This record gives sequence, structure tokens and C-alpha cells, in this order.
Amino acid sequence: MQRFVFAVLIVLSVAGSMAMAKSIFPYAYTREVLPNGLTVYVIPMESPGLVAYYSVVRTGSRDEFEQGKSGYAHFFEHMMFRGTKKYPGPVYDSLITGIGADANAYTTDDYTAFHLNFATDDLEKVIELESDRFQNLSYAEREFQTEAGAVYGEYRKSITSPFALLNERMQDVAYDVHTYKHTTIGFEADIKKMPEAYDYSKSFYQRYYRPENVVLLITGDVNPAATIALVKRYYGGWAKGYVPPTIAAEPPQKAERSASVTYPGKTLPVLDIAYKGDAFDPANRLYVAAALLGDLAFGETSALYKKLYITEQKIEMLDASIPVNRDMPLFEVLARVKKETDIDSIRDDIYATIRTFQTVPVDAQRLSDLKRRQRYQFLMGLDTPDRVAGGLARFAAISGGIEVVEDYFAAMETVTPDDIRAAAQHYFVPERRTVVVLKGARP
Amino acid sequence: MKTLAAVCLVLALMPAVMTGGEALDTRTFVLLPVKNDPTVSFRIWFKVGSQNDPKGKEGLAQITGMMLADGSTKHNSYAAIKEHLYPLAAGYMASVGTEMTVINGRVHNDNLAAYYPLFMDAILAPAFLQEDLDRIKSQALNMLETTLRYASDEELGKAVLYNDVFAGTPYGHIVAGTVQGVRSITLDDVKSFYATHYTRENVVPGIGGGYGPELPARIAADLGGLPSGAPAAVPAPEPRPIEGLHVTIVDKDAPATAISMGFPMHLLRGTREWYALAIANSWLGEHRNQSSHLYQVIRERRGLNYGDYSYIENFPHGGSLQMPPQNASRRAQLFEMWIRPVPLETGQFALRAALREFKHLVDNGMTEGDFHLTRRFLRNYVLHYAPTTMGRLGYALDDRFYGIAGSHLELFRKMMGEITLEEVNAAIRKHWQYGNMQIAVITKNAEAFQQALVSGTPSPITYKNAKPESVLREDKEIEVFPVPVKKENVRVVKVTGVLEQ
Repeated sequence: MQRFVFAVLIVLSVAGSMAMAKSIFPYAYTREVLPNGLTVYVIPMESPGLVAYYSVVRTGSRDEFEQGKSGYAHFFEHMMFRGTKKYPGPVYDSLITGIGADANAYTTDDYTAFHLNFATDDLEKVIELESDRFQNLSYAEREFQTEAGAVYGEYRKSITSPFALLNERMQDVAYDVHTYKHTTIGFEADIKKMPEAYDYSKSFYQRYYRPENVVLLITGDVNPAATIALVKRYYGGWAKGYVPPTIAAEPPQKAERSASVTYPGKTLPVLDIAYKGDAFDPANRLYVAAALLGDLAFGETSALYKKLYITEQKIEMLDASIPVNRDMPLFEVLARVKKETDIDSIRDDIYATIRTFQTVPVDAQRLSDLKRRQRYQFLMGLDTPDRVAGGLARFAAISGGIEVVEDYFAAMETVTPDDIRAAAQHYFVPERRTVVVLKGARP
Repeated sequence: MKTLAAVCLVLALMPAVMTGGEALDTRTFVLLPVKNDPTVSFRIWFKVGSQNDPKGKEGLAQITGMMLADGSTKHNSYAAIKEHLYPLAAGYMASVGTEMTVINGRVHNDNLAAYYPLFMDAILAPAFLQEDLDRIKSQALNMLETTLRYASDEELGKAVLYNDVFAGTPYGHIVAGTVQGVRSITLDDVKSFYATHYTRENVVPGIGGGYGPELPARIAADLGGLPSGAPAAVPAPEPRPIEGLHVTIVDKDAPATAISMGFPMHLLRGTREWYALAIANSWLGEHRNQSSHLYQVIRERRGLNYGDYSYIENFPHGGSLQMPPQNASRRAQLFEMWIRPVPLETGQFALRAALREFKHLVDNGMTEGDFHLTRRFLRNYVLHYAPTTMGRLGYALDDRFYGIAGSHLELFRKMMGEITLEEVNAAIRKHWQYGNMQIAVITKNAEAFQQALVSGTPSPITYKNAKPESVLREDKEIEVFPVPVKKENVRVVKVTGVLEQ
């Protein structure tokens, strides 16, 4: 379960001085698209004897468009560990255990990633195992039903967080028809009914777990030609068959929305102000400017942060998230407030900050500092095979490749103070807005 | 990339942050040069932690660490520090544990010259302002009063377990402290704690990555400015022996039941026996790994929760970490089983299931097959423990803490080629038992849980879906598995009183 925010992603990434770098991504790589549509990136880097292997399925909770079936992308992430006829679950587990791999998976709104870190010597074994479960997954109904229990357990563990509850409410209120209306783990009512949907789960696999819908990212101590030859051998017979989901476009919001949610314990109140944004697109100047605006207006060097967090100490946290998404996400400003009576004034402060950014061009040096910061953060985060592949996974999921990273950073370099102002004027307006306030049931 | 010589020059030209005492001896440093790493990692270790919190001031070590890493210095306000660090894409933080406090940070070599004075200022010249203390205390109280009590029942369960197991010793409160303790902390408390513990005799600097040859000397000179002083050593804790099964049940309106249990253990990494027991523990409950046997029994076969794990070393932040943390070293450890929240009606069953599996392992030892598989697994799996320079530097500091001459991670791999099944089973017999244990339960209907527990009432389980005959057969044994708890050994507490003082 991951909710991705640009600021978080950018904390990834290593090599020489930025001053000399022509491109942001420091490693040479090889890309290959198999005849069946499977896309493979092999990215060698210095990491003696270690490899990271990411299978990125370009399906997430976004793709759960059928009524009553929220949470299946995530559920399916679990089912992928239940094995095949050749390698049943316990055999798969024991083989992975035997090679000492660090293996796991996660699901997000836009994609599902299966990842392993292991020794280079085991590359062929991993390719064989991964290609097998992606093509030949096989599980009985009772295993499916047992796993549904584990998923419900995950829901129970997560929902004790006030932020999970708030997020669930925000997405439900902000969206009318788009599948971002539900969170990645899904509506609780749908999770409860999961054990009944064995046949549906198989159709989910048949439609989405197809080579045209998957990108492999293989990084570390690997030889590109030999690796691609292995991928061809083991994945070459995987039949095409991806059936794109029918995702309803969210109609333009016409008026501001608001809601509240009560957390059944004790918590500081949280104010969540969200605006309908745009999908990730480096060619969309407004989007790229908004990604910077979030930090400039609400980041830890912003005037508002200094006022509310450092000087007045009215909040415990201020955060803006401008996510990287395939469709229209919410651009959110979150404030964890110390006193309930301050919520209104803090909301007004946030609106006032937005008005300032809509009217006054941001200081050019601050903008330049932020660009520098983002480049170095990206670079410093690319220091292990796992972080490289993990950091690229969302881009691969959204665009089908990793080239957009260069496009994004190139576009970022050209953003001007006027672009920032234009983004504030375009996105941060009342008719795109949804406000949700979370309060605790206990004083 | 700038050449190392250029970096050296930049550093050499920087004015010393502080002048004063004699330079530290760089031979005492933990150094991990990595030629091709374009970044520099710092871990400045002070031999202080929550075990040094004065009575009634529980949480002071943590607050003091945060005042350094998250407060103003004599040369810069907190806001100005954030401004200066911003374009460098760098920061620093304090990691405070029971025995260790480490101020750590990482920076690209391009930005080292601008970063270094800010980092050193944090350690050498904290301003200790009231407004910073107010902000930091507010965060710490929020963590105790809302996050731990209400937002994470599994972390609360662990906290209750630790406080119970080590009650009456300097380990007897979690690092975050207590509500009353944190509330009572004043600026003078922080200043006095800093003066006592942040001394030149108490520091071990760690440096890793692509730093130039002059950096250790520079740090030695600057940290030489710390005041002199050797705080009184805290003796290693001697937790009271646990006789029988003791249970603390935290009563709250919980959506599920979270369980943690364990007992103190006298075994530290670096010894052959530790690596032998690590094999058994990995098989029983490798952290967040489906190879964990507890995970297989409770989650995989029965779908009761999200995971079930066991530990022979302190593992803070288990909910968010995939691999073991660094610099959480301690002289006293506990064996621990962590049962993630299960449906309320299956709490007793899950507790019985975990204890039954543990008893089976203690009574019978590992099988030949499980032993070989787990040994092979660990041999490679430990490669993933510290893939970064910062991680390896952390391990190197821990090696110093435990007095391991070489590297724990290398020794771990080596031992996986040497340890025999007999050694593993001997270590199990010597260090593990199931009769004396502390158990923490976070649940709704605590009184009913207590009654069922004390009376030994069977806890049958029903499923909404079909299960294999083998599982149902095993369930019959689990539901009546004896968990002999005497009424006087059960304590029921309200969540509002937990972690209070």
C-alpha cells in the first residue's frame, strides 16, 4: 500500500557533480520491448553481486472500475504469492527463501509492483520463477478465501491511523465517478465480500496480468545482453491479451465540497484541503510548475510553515502533496492542528498563501534553490539497485517507460516565477476544492 | 565530480566551527571510506540514551536529541537552518535509542563545504531555546497521547511489553518516555543532560563514503571542543525474573486484538550462540518475511492477520522497517513474538497458536530440513541488511558497541557456513523457554478476555470458508492448548493510563 507523492519520490537517487551532468539519470541502460509487448529495462550499476528485480504491473486501484470490486488490485498482489502448478506457493516460498532473496510487493492507485533483491548468481532462477507466476498463477478457492482474511487484517491494522480514515473520506467525497473515489485497499464493504469473488479474481488476472501491461526493471550487477536473452527465453511465450479497463472520466467539479470525519479515538484534528489536479505530464507546464509550487508555498522553508509551525506553533505538521498519477489526482495541503478552535484561521492562512502565490511572483532565488534541491535529492537517492528500480517504478507504470524522468527534470529547469503563478491560478481555485476536517471522538 | 583534492581544499579553507579543547584521537573513530561514493555519511555517536533519563524525566534523552537535530543553534535560528540546508538537499537527525544516540546526516560531496558547519553547529552549539522545546515537547506528547495510545495498537502492545519486562530497571520505559515525564522536562533539564552526556569522552564519530583524508582530523579538532566529562556508567539492567505467564491487557475500543509477548534474554550478537539462535529465530519468525513459521501458521493458513514475527534483538519501528535497524544496540535483549492485530473473536486462539508453535520448537528443536533451508536463506539475506554506506556505517558503530572485532554482517555470513543443527538446538534449549513470559494484549472487552484466559475456556475458531482437513485438525489442538495464567498475574489497564508515568 503506497500513496505516492512527488516530494517523496524525489528523495531517491548518485554519481558525479551536478554541474557537469548533461542528463539527470546517471546510469546508462538498455531497453527492449519483446514481440508480446513486455517492456524490459536493464540498468547496470556498481553493486557487487546484487540485483534488484521489479515487475511493474500497470494496474492499481485505479483500474477497479466494476461496482463492488474495489481493492482487487491489492488483493491480487497477495494472490500472486500463492504459486503455480509447477511451483506451488510453498515451493515458490522455499525457493525464494533458499536464495535469501528480499522479496515483497506493494500496490498503489496506479500500479502494482513485485520486487526482489538477490545475488546475481540467482538471476536466472528468479527470472524463471517470476515469469512462471506471471503466466501460470493457479490457486484454489479456499486459498483465495484465506488470503481475503489476511487482506481484511491489513485493513484493520491500517484503519487505526487517522490519516487512513481521512484519506478514505477525502477520496470518496472529492470524486464522483472516477475510480480514484476509493482508496487502494478498497471500501471495507467490498473487502468483506472478497471471499465470494473467486471467479472474478481469475478474470482480473486474465485481463490485467499480460505482457503489454508489465514493465520489468532490472538493476545492479547485471549484464544487459545476457539478461535480456534470459527474459526473452522465459517470458517470450507469454500471450498478449490485456483488456484495458473502462475508467469513467471525472466530470469537471463545479463547486467547492466539504465534509468531516470523526476518528473513533483521540487525535489532533487534521485539515485536508484538496484541489483537482492534472495527471503527470512533463509536457504540461502547469503541472510541472504545480509540483514545485507545493513545496514553495507549504514546504519547510515556506513563509506559512515558519508562521504556523515554528513561530506560532499552532500546527504539528504542514504538508503539500502534488502526486504523480496516471489520471487526475488531488493536489493536497494537509495541516495537523493542535487546537480545534484554530482550524478556521489556519484554513484562512492557507487560502491567503494561495492568493499570494496567485498574485505575486515567487522569488527567483527560492525557485532556483528548489530546483537544485530536487536534482540533488534525486541523485542522492539512486544509491542502491533497489532504490533505482523502486524510484523509477511509478514513472514506468504511468508512462510505460523511464524516459519521462529526463523530460520532467528538463521541464522543471525551465519553470519560471510566472509559471508558478499561473499554476496557482489554474489549480488552486474554489471550484476545484474539497475540504475535509478530521476530528477525534475523544477530547 | 569534483576531485577529492578540491573537496579537501574547500574544507581546509572553512573556519573551524569551534576552537577549544584538544583534538580527539582519530584512531577512536569509526571510518568507512568508500572511494566511489559521491556522498559523505556522518554518524556521530554519543553513549547516551533513554537508560540515562533521570527518574521522573522519562523522555529526556529523546527530547535532548531532538533539540540538537530539530532546534536552533547559537549561530542560526531553526528557520534559518532549514533555509541553509534546503538547496543542499541535505539534513540531519537524531536517532535516540535505549543506550545510543546518533546524530546522523548525509550530503553530496558538492555540498559538503556548506553543510559541514551547520551539522557541527547542531552538535557543538545548540541554542536551547524555550520555543524550540515547546514545539518538540508538543510533538513528543502527541506521539504518546494520541499516536501510540490510539493510532497503532501493535506499537502500543510492544511498548507495554517492554515497559513490563524491564520494569524497575533503567530500560523500564520506552525511549519516547512517559506523558508525565515529558511534561515535566524544562530547558534546564535539557541543558544539564547535554552538559553531562555530550562530552568528548562520550563521543564516537563515524564517517563514511567518499570523504577526503583531512575530514577525520577536522572532525577531531571540532569535536575536541566538546566539554570534558565522563558521566556515571549505568549498569546493565537486571530485569526481574518472570515466574509463570504474566499478562497486561489494555482495554480500549479497539477494532482488533494486538498481541506482543516475550522474556528477557542474556545473549548478544558476536557470540557463536547468538548466530545459532538467529537461525532458529529466523525460521520461527523472520521479520516481515513470509518464510516466518508463525506467519505461515497464523496468516498464511488461517488468514487471521497481516503477519506474525519473532525477535532476539531490539527492533524498533518494526511496522515501517523491512530490515533490522542500526544503532539500536543494547546490553540487554528480550525474546519477543509480535502478533499483528487479529479479529477480536480470535484473540485467544491466536495467542494459543503462537505459544503452541513456540513450545513445539523449544521442545523439539529445528528439523534438519528447516535448519539447512534457513541457514542458506540467512547467508544471502543478510546482504540486504545494509546496502548503503550509511547503513554499513551504522553496523560498524554497532560492531564497536558490541565489541565485535571484525564485522557482524561478515561474521553472520561466515557463521552460516559453520553452525550445526546441534548448536542451534542447544542454543534453543539454553535461551528459550515457554513457561515464564510477559504478554501484552491490546483489545476491546478486556474483562472478558481476562476471564476466558484465566478460566482456560477453549477458544474454538470458525471460518467463513472451507479449510483443509489438516488445518481443522490442528485447530482442535490449538483451541484447547493450555495457557496457564493465574488470575493474580493478569492486569487490566485502561488505555488512558498507559504510558502516563
